[in-house]
Amino acid sequence: MAFTTFLSVTDHTATIELVGELDSGSAPKLHRVIEEALRSDVSCLELQAAELSYMSSAGLRALLFARQKLGEDGSVIMLGAPQEVARTVRLAGLEASIKLTDT
Amino acid sequence: MDAITVPASLASLEEVAGYVRALAEQGSLPARAAYNLRLAVDEIVTNIIMHGYREGPGEIRVSGGLERDHVWLQVADQAPPFDPRTVDSGPQPNTPPMDMQLGGLGLFLALKAVDGFSYEFTNGTNINTLTMSSASYGGCS
Repeated sequence: MAFTTFLSVTDHTATIELVGELDSGSAPKLHRVIEEALRSDVSCLELQAAELSYMSSAGLRALLFARQKLGEDGSVIMLGAPQEVARTVRLAGLEASIKLTDT
Repeated sequence: MDAITVPASLASLEEVAGYVRALAEQGSLPARAAYNLRLAVDEIVTNIIMHGYREGPGEIRVSGGLERDHVWLQVADQAPPFDPRTVDSGPQPNTPPMDMQLGGLGLFLALKAVDGFSYEFTNGTNINTLTMSSASYGGCS
């Protein structure tokens, strides 16, 4: 299954909708979108993850990359992640870096 | 299930995922166990491509089958010997986000995701064997 992203930026928040399967084949695509998003003056990255049906460690690496690019005061929030995806974030010990919320 | 042999390329991940999906269906694995088995195989195959063959040419053979109470899946390659269990790469809960690194995380997730894992190096071949109990929801909780 393909992986697609939709990016929008308002004020200091970039929103990326993630759709499909995020593995090491598709993670470079997310990496590029994150770089594009962070070219604007952004302090918060919101990831709409309700349609993210799969995520491997390659996806986690892209998200941590975003978190680190945003600096100490930045934040990365993942919204509506399916149970399995959210569990992978927790298991990787990344809850402090990537905040999980239901909606 | 009949084995498949794929080139050591990230483009092969989709075919491997399809194989795991089909095996999980045949074995009537619950959705969560099927997801975890796919995650484990994905991470192990990715590691073979990126670090085993160092993104060079090579082949990866994936085979699998059903037993009475579990599904097994084997990933074999001819890259240099490498036992995934030797990588110490657990989460770093006390590390600030800015200092965190994720080397080895994939294999950590892989080994957590399955019910059983074994490794052997025989006749120049790395053989990784993963098992998932049919009644299980996966060890990844």
